[in-house]
Amino acid sequence: MIQLREVSKTVMSGSEPLTILHPLTLQILRGQFVAIVGPSGSGKSTLLGLIAGLDAPTTGEVLIDEVDITKLDEDSLARLRGEKIGFVFQFFHLIPSLTAYENVAVPMEIAGVADARQRAASLLEEVGLTGRAHHYPSQLSGGEQQRVALARALANDPPIVLADEPTGNLDTANGRHIMELLRSIHAARGTTIVLVTHDAELAAMTDGRLVLRDGRVVEDKLALQPPDGARGLPEQVEGRQAQSERAEHASQGERTEEPRVQSPSSLDFARDDAGALEGSAPERSS
Amino acid sequence: MMFVVRMAVRETRASWKRLLFFFVCIAVGVAAIVALRSVIQSVREVFGTEAKALIAADVLIGTNREWTPAVRQTIERRLAGAGAIGTTDTIETPTMVRPADTSKTVAKMVELRAVQSSFPLYGAVTLDGGQTYSHALVEHHGVLVRPELLTTLDVKVGDRIVIGQAVFTIRGLLVREPGRMGGFSLGPRVLIDYDDLASTGLLSFGSRAGRQLLVKMPEDRIEPLVRELRRDVREEFVNVRSYRSNEDQIGRDFDRAENYLSLVGLIIVILGGIAVSSVTRVFILQKIRSIAVLKCVGASSRQVMGVYVLQVMALGLAGSLLGVAIARAAIAAIPFALGPSSSLLAQAHYGVSWSAAAQGGAIGVLVSLLFSVVPLLQIRLIKPSLLLRDETKRRSRDWTTIVAFVLVSLALVAVTAWQAASLRVGVIVCVGFAGLALVLQLAGRGLVALVTPLANSRSFPLRHAVLHLSRPGNQTRVILLAVGLGAFFIVGVRSLQATLLDEFSVQVSNESPDMFLLDVQRGQVDGVRAFLSDPANAAGDVNLIPVLRARVVGVQGSETNLEGVEAIRTRGSLAREYTITYRDHLEPNERVTDGRFWTGPSQEPEVSIEKGIHERFAINVGDTMKFDVLGRTFSARVSSVRNVEWRESRNGGFMFVFRPGPFDQAPHTYVAPLKGPATVEARARFQHDLVQRFPNVSVIDFREIMETLRDVMSKVTLAITVVGGLVLFSGVLILIGAVAMTKFQRVYEAAVFKTLGASTRTITRMLLLEYGVLGSLAGLVGSMGAIALTWGVTRYALDMPWRIFPREHVAGVVLTAFLVATIGVLSSLDVLRNKPLATLRAE
Repeated sequence: MIQLREVSKTVMSGSEPLTILHPLTLQILRGQFVAIVGPSGSGKSTLLGLIAGLDAPTTGEVLIDEVDITKLDEDSLARLRGEKIGFVFQFFHLIPSLTAYENVAVPMEIAGVADARQRAASLLEEVGLTGRAHHYPSQLSGGEQQRVALARALANDPPIVLADEPTGNLDTANGRHIMELLRSIHAARGTTIVLVTHDAELAAMTDGRLVLRDGRVVEDKLALQPPDGARGLPEQVEGRQAQSERAEHASQGERTEEPRVQSPSSLDFARDDAGALEGSAPERSS
Repeated sequence: MMFVVRMAVRETRASWKRLLFFFVCIAVGVAAIVALRSVIQSVREVFGTEAKALIAADVLIGTNREWTPAVRQTIERRLAGAGAIGTTDTIETPTMVRPADTSKTVAKMVELRAVQSSFPLYGAVTLDGGQTYSHALVEHHGVLVRPELLTTLDVKVGDRIVIGQAVFTIRGLLVREPGRMGGFSLGPRVLIDYDDLASTGLLSFGSRAGRQLLVKMPEDRIEPLVRELRRDVREEFVNVRSYRSNEDQIGRDFDRAENYLSLVGLIIVILGGIAVSSVTRVFILQKIRSIAVLKCVGASSRQVMGVYVLQVMALGLAGSLLGVAIARAAIAAIPFALGPSSSLLAQAHYGVSWSAAAQGGAIGVLVSLLFSVVPLLQIRLIKPSLLLRDETKRRSRDWTTIVAFVLVSLALVAVTAWQAASLRVGVIVCVGFAGLALVLQLAGRGLVALVTPLANSRSFPLRHAVLHLSRPGNQTRVILLAVGLGAFFIVGVRSLQATLLDEFSVQVSNESPDMFLLDVQRGQVDGVRAFLSDPANAAGDVNLIPVLRARVVGVQGSETNLEGVEAIRTRGSLAREYTITYRDHLEPNERVTDGRFWTGPSQEPEVSIEKGIHERFAINVGDTMKFDVLGRTFSARVSSVRNVEWRESRNGGFMFVFRPGPFDQAPHTYVAPLKGPATVEARARFQHDLVQRFPNVSVIDFREIMETLRDVMSKVTLAITVVGGLVLFSGVLILIGAVAMTKFQRVYEAAVFKTLGASTRTITRMLLLEYGVLGSLAGLVGSMGAIALTWGVTRYALDMPWRIFPREHVAGVVLTAFLVATIGVLSSLDVLRNKPLATLRAE
C-alpha cells in the first residue's frame, strides 16, 4: 500500500523558494491501476519520484507498506526500490553498454536472485523479445526498448510499478502495445501500477485518476471508478487535496516549471544527461 | 559481490577501447620501471658474483710511485702474519704502440698492463676464438691486445708491435680480463709479461705507471688486514682496499641508480595516472544516467563505485601486464644491442626480474586506482531522480572529496618515496612534479587566454577551433600537460646538447692546439723541439712546459692547518696527485686575484694557487704549504691566487704554479700542447714518427677525444631523448585517447554543422586548426620550459655561457603542432565521414 501524508515539495529557484507540489495526502491500495494526469509542469513526475524515494519531500511522510521511506538513507532506499518498485520511464533509460537480456537481469543480480538468467529470459519472452535478447539498446526500436524497460521493471516481481509517461516517446501502435502489456501485467500479477500521463485517453483506461495542475490536485476521481473485480484485491483508492495548505506555500502558488519539458528527441536527453553534473559528451557505448 | 564483478566485466567489455590509450600510458611507464630495474639488477648480479674478479683479488694494495723498500717490507710482514694465500704484482701505464713494420706509419695510445705468472688470482682472462689463456702466451715478449687495436694499427695476430723500446709479438686477442671494469680509458688494453716491462724503458723517470699488489686471503682475515695495513701506510701514498669495500660502494651506487632511474618510469606512470584521472572524470560524466538507472533498480552507491573501481583496477592490471611484456621484449633486445663487448654488461643474463615485475605491476595498479578515486567519488553524488527530471546540482564543498584528495596526494608521495627509497627524494620529486605541472598548467592557461581573442575572428573554422579549446569537458589541460612535458624533455635535451657541442667545438677551433705530448724527458727536449720545428711535421709553434708531480702533505695557514698525509686526506681532492709547473710569467688565460705574481727566479720556494683551491680549502696568500715532490718534502709560501680561465686552458691549467729556482735542476718531464697536422693520415704519421724517435713520449690527440666525447654525448642524448620520446609517446596516447573520449560530442557537432551547411572541408579545417593551435601551445609550453632548463643548467651546473638555439625551439614547436594536428585529425576521421542524418538519428 502507498500512503502519502501531507507531502509537499519545495525547491530553491535562485534565492527564492518555489513550491512544486503543494501538501497532499493520498492512499493507493494494493492492486490498483491508477493514473496521475496533468499538463507538463503540473508536478506529476515529482509525485512519482517521491513515491519511489527518488526524491525527498520537503514536508510529510511517504509510506510504502507501512514503512516511512523519508526516514531511510540512500542505500536503504535503493534496496527498497530493488525489492518493491519497478520503474518505466518515458525515455526507457536502458544501460547502453548492456544487452537487452543483461538490462533485465541487472535488478535481480543486485538483489542476488539465484535464477536471474532464466527469469530474465522468461520476462523477455513475456514482452515478446526473446529473439532480441542479445541486442544492445542502440540496435532496438523505441517500442522494443520500452518493452525491455518493462521487463526490467518486473525483474524482481515488485508489488508496485511506477510508469512515467511510458508511451510518451512512442508512436501510436507501440504506445498501445505498451499499454496493453501494462494492463495484462496488472491483470495477471495483481501489481499496483501508477501511470503518469498527460493523455486523457490513456488515463481513461485505468481504474481511477488524479488530475494535477500547478502542483495542486484539481480533480480527484480515484475513488469514483471501481477497480476491476477480476483482480479480487482490496479496492479503494483515496486521493484528496490536503486540507491545510500553508500560507507561505499558497503565496508562491504560481509555479512556473517543474520537470523540464522533455524533448521527444533522445538527442536532447543525451546532452542534458551530461549537463546534470557539469557538462560533457553524451553516454554511448562503443 | 557477484553483481559488482559481472557489471565490471560488462562495462569493461563496452568501454575498454575508449579507455585503452590511457592504460597504454600506464603500460609504457610500467615497462620503463620494470626494464630499468631488471637491467640494473642483472648487471648488479654480475658485479655481485664477480666482486672479487672486479679487482681480481681479495685485497688490492696500490701506489702511483715506485714501491719503497720500507713500505714493501711492512706489507710483506703483514701479509705473512695474516696468512696470505697468494700474491701477484702488476703494473699499469698508458703508453704508445706502433707496428714494427716501418711501412705502417701509425701509432696509438694504449693502456699497458704487465702481469706475473700468478695472475689472475680470481676470475679468468678470456681470449678471442676460444683460445685458452696461460702466462706462456705473454712470456718472452709476447703480447695480448684488444681486437680494435689490430684495425687501428693495421696488424694481425702473429705480427710484431713496438712498445717503448722493445718489440713484442701479438699472440692472441683479449676479450676480457679480471680487474678491468670498462668505462673511460685512454686507449685499448695491452697485456705483457711483468718481466718484459723493464726492456721497454717505460719505467724511467716521470713515468705514470701504477703499481698494484694483488692479494688472496682467507675470508675472515681480510678486514683486519686492510685495517692494519691502512694504519701502517697512512703517511705513505699507498691505497689499500678489499673486494668488499669495493662491492659495498658498487652496491650503493647500483641502489641509487636503480631507484633514481625508475623514477623516470614513475613519472611516465604518473602522467598516465593524470590521464586516467581526467578520463575517469569524463567517463563518469558520460555514465551519469547509467549510474542513476543502477541506483533506481536497487544498487547502492558502494556497489556502483565497486563496479568502476574494479574496472579501473582491471585495466590498470592489464596495462601493467602489458608493461611487463614490453619490458621483457625490450630486455630481450639488449644482448643484440650490446654486441660482442668486453664490458661486464655483456656478461649479464638479462631478463625481467620478479621483484621488478611485481613492483612495476603494483605501481601500475596503484597509480591507476589512486588517480581515479577522486573522480569516482562523484558517483555518490549522482541521484536517481535525475531520470525523472534534469537538475543541475549546485556544487557545495564536498569534504569527502577534499579528504580523499589529500589522502591520494599523500599516497603518491609514499609511492614515489618507496620507488626512490628516500622520503626526501619522494617529497622533492612530487613537489617538483606538481610544481612543473602547475607551471605548465598556468602557462597553458595563459596561452589559451592569449589565443581567446581569435574566437572573434572572421574565419569560421578558426573561431570554432579556439572556442573548442575551452568548451565544457575539454581535454586541453591534460593534453597541454602531457604533450608539453614530452616536448619539454626533447627540446630541452636537444638544446643542452647543442650548447655543449657548441662549447667544445669552440675549444677545438682551428687556431688552438689539438695535440698534447706527455712524458718528454729533459734530455729529449731539444730533439723533440727540433722534430716539431721541422716543416715536414707541420707542428707550428711549440711550448714545452716543465711538469712534476706533487702531493700536498701539509698546510700552515691563517684559516687551515693540516699536518701529514692522513690529515690532508680528510680534505678530499686536496690529497690527490697534482701536476705542477714553474714559470715566471702569467699565461694569457690567468689573472691574479690576490697577492702578487713574482718576477724572475728565486731559491726561496713560492707558489701561486688557483682560485678554486683558495676557496675550497681556505688557503690564503701568506700561508705555507708542504709538498711531496719525488719523495722529497719541501715548503713553499703562497704568494698569489690566480683565476684560471679553464675554457682557454690548453696553455696552462695548473692548480699550483711555482716560482722558478728550486726545481730547475730537479728531474722532471715536459708536456707540450701543439697544433697537429690537419689530415687524419698526417696526424697518424706524425704520432708514429714522433714515437719512433722518442718511444717513451705519449701523444693525446684532442680530435680523437673530441670524437669520443661527441660519441658519448650522442649516446647520452639518445638515451635522454628516448626517455623524452617515451613521455611524448605517452602524451600522444593521451591525446588520441582524449580525442576518442570526446569524439561523440564532435560527431554530433559535426552533424549539426553539416546540417547547417558546413562542408567536410570546413570541418576538417576546424579540426586541423583546433589541434594545430593545441599542438603549438603544447610546443610553446615545452619550449619555454626547455629555455628555463638550459638557462639553469648552463648557469649553475656547467658554468657555460647561455645561448638560445632558435632552430631547436622553432623545430620543437612546429613538429609538436604538426604531430598533434595530424593525430587529432586522423583520430577524428569518422567525425568527417559520418553522414549527418545517420548521426542525428543514432543520437
